[in-house]
Amino acid sequence: MRMTGPLERVLSAFLTDPVAPRYGYELMKAARLPSGTLYPLLARLERHRLVASAWETPQQEGQRPRKYYRLTGAGIRVARLELAEASARRQRPAARAVRPARESQG
Amino acid sequence: MRAERALLRIGECLVGLARRQLPRRGREERYREWLAELPAILHDPQTRPAAVRAVRMLGYAVDTPRGAVLTRIRARRPPGRGVTVIARALLAVGMYELTVGVWGVVLAPGEPLSYLRLAWGVLLVAYPVSLLVRSAWRVSTLIVTSQCLAGSAVNFWDAARAPADWVNYFNAAFLLLIVPALWIAIWITSRRSRARQA
Repeated sequence: MRMTGPLERVLSAFLTDPVAPRYGYELMKAARLPSGTLYPLLARLERHRLVASAWETPQQEGQRPRKYYRLTGAGIRVARLELAEASARRQRPAARAVRPARESQG
Repeated sequence: MRAERALLRIGECLVGLARRQLPRRGREERYREWLAELPAILHDPQTRPAAVRAVRMLGYAVDTPRGAVLTRIRARRPPGRGVTVIARALLAVGMYELTVGVWGVVLAPGEPLSYLRLAWGVLLVAYPVSLLVRSAWRVSTLIVTSQCLAGSAVNFWDAARAPADWVNYFNAAFLLLIVPALWIAIWITSRRSRARQA
């Protein structure tokens, strides 16, 4: 799966509490993404079986049940790995930029 | 309370529009999910004041059609290697036709045929692009149909100028035949998929 900025934000939002179930709106707020970006991403994650979804049982009569999402076991592993790789990728160019400066000092 | 109900109704209307754009598989589930989120956003205790909640709810609903279209496009399988090669070849031909069309318009701005050729070039570029970016099939069908019509118009024009040249008639007839063949193929495919779902 190709790592994009919005995907990284969604995975980070999930990983703040990996086992907690999250509603779409909750993820939107946490990842700061609009609904038009979030739901296709969630569909993609579900297709790859990294996220599982379920319907809640309504607590009040007449209330519409909401759907919640949770990272699967594989999802937690992949999310941690992908986020670590993305962070390493970001740090690599910075490290390369710093190295010559240190060499010139020595 | 009345304003809240009116807002919810607007949101539901927008989500209803988005529902039509969703792929058949999972359409109702996604629609129910979006509908259930609307009152939750409108009554979110963490967001204040109420006006912000209302704007958020409407923003959520307004953006759902985009999400529906993206979901549908991403649900489609990526084109195979063969299709990609053909699409790239078509793109090259389309770029050539487009350049010839632009050049024709520059040389003879009063000539209607140049504009037709230009339109054909644009469509010839648009079709492989729509294949490569996996656009919705309706858009692709529309592009192919208009491409065939523009192409046959160009050939008829050529035939009128050179009535003895049978190649123009053949080309025009061939392009015109593609349109009903395409629509019949779509009709059969959609009937089959409907029957399979039933």
